[in-house]
Amino acid sequence: MMAAGRDFYEVLGVSRTASQDEIQRAYRKLARTYHPDVNKDPGAEDTFKEISEAYDVLSDPELRRRYNAFGSDFRQVPPDVDPETWARARAGPGRRPSSEPTVDIDVDFEDLLGGMFGGRARRGWGPMPGADQEAELVLTVEDAYHGGRRPITLSGRDGPRTFEVNIPAGVTDGQRIRLAGQGGRGRDGGSAGDLYLVVRLDPHPRYRVEGRDIFVDLPLAPWEAALGTSVAIDTPGGEAKVKVPSGTSSGRRLRLRGRGLPNPRGQPGNLYAEARIAVPAKLSDDERELFERLAAVSTFDPRRRRR
Amino acid sequence: MSYALTRLSTVDRMDVEAFSRAVGLHPELVRRLVALGLLEPQRDTSGALWFARGQLAAAARIQRLHTDLAVNYAALGLVIDLLDRVATLEAALRNATRRTGGRPWT
Repeated sequence: MMAAGRDFYEVLGVSRTASQDEIQRAYRKLARTYHPDVNKDPGAEDTFKEISEAYDVLSDPELRRRYNAFGSDFRQVPPDVDPETWARARAGPGRRPSSEPTVDIDVDFEDLLGGMFGGRARRGWGPMPGADQEAELVLTVEDAYHGGRRPITLSGRDGPRTFEVNIPAGVTDGQRIRLAGQGGRGRDGGSAGDLYLVVRLDPHPRYRVEGRDIFVDLPLAPWEAALGTSVAIDTPGGEAKVKVPSGTSSGRRLRLRGRGLPNPRGQPGNLYAEARIAVPAKLSDDERELFERLAAVSTFDPRRRRR
Repeated sequence: MSYALTRLSTVDRMDVEAFSRAVGLHPELVRRLVALGLLEPQRDTSGALWFARGQLAAAARIQRLHTDLAVNYAALGLVIDLLDRVATLEAALRNATRRTGGRPWT
């Protein structure tokens, strides 16, 4: 059941005239990079499998000779067929004319060598469970707040795989969601590994998240900050009212208890609105006059050192 | 009371024979992996080995690294320790960059 895969020489990145040494060097280097225990990327396993298949064939002089002669069909060609006869037969009408010496196509090399890893004989080992894999799952702050089911698509050699993932409400950055049995495939009947989705929160234009706490800027006019007010702000859970006490300076954090990310096991995080005092870029004549009067009257000096 | 505790814990641990069967290795090889410190079973007072469920995944990783990359058993301990350390550091790095990132306001 070989897909019309890539050329084995291309897979290993060597020329058709490469020596056995070169082939082995290329394989070792690629195997170290893509081995599923070294590389947690879900795509790495397929790449590693492809590399192993290519190496299994090209490292064996007899198999390599047959591969060179017959191309990707070499496993189906009976041992004593002349390459030219085969090429002519294939070009003729029908893929496998009956004049061709009959072969039991069911017994191909994969069966003889055994195992889905098309392997060098791996004797002495029974079923081998698959490796765990990791993939990144990028969520918006709103997604993390609400949670819910969502389809996740990962690309693989056999086409994209889609999972329905249940995201718990209140997942945090760096948290891992385990999909049991969706990781690396086992060999010879071994069980599959697990797939871990590592949550990464996408940077949000307004919300900064630390653990379960959410920080949001709260722009205030100078008079709102000085006199106090009540402001409606957006939070991931909907609109909320913040009471700004009089005498609020920039940087003051106003806490909205429990309005951060929910916690499936305990206290939810808090939302902090950080006061930022903003002034008009251009003042009208009236505004300028009032600010000038305030400047003349006030004794407040924000730079005076406290004693 | 202690009876109940023993009963519960035996569900999740295996002796050498059961463990060897589960991972498809010869019991002698399993004992050798223990001697090399690659598997870490618990030892009861009589000296018998008991393998926790988590050791199944450890044995699988040992098999894969050994067969696929031709790492010998003596070197495997080092390889596994380094892989685990890299994983820990990568996780720490992920969290650190998150925390320092994003503070656009002055």
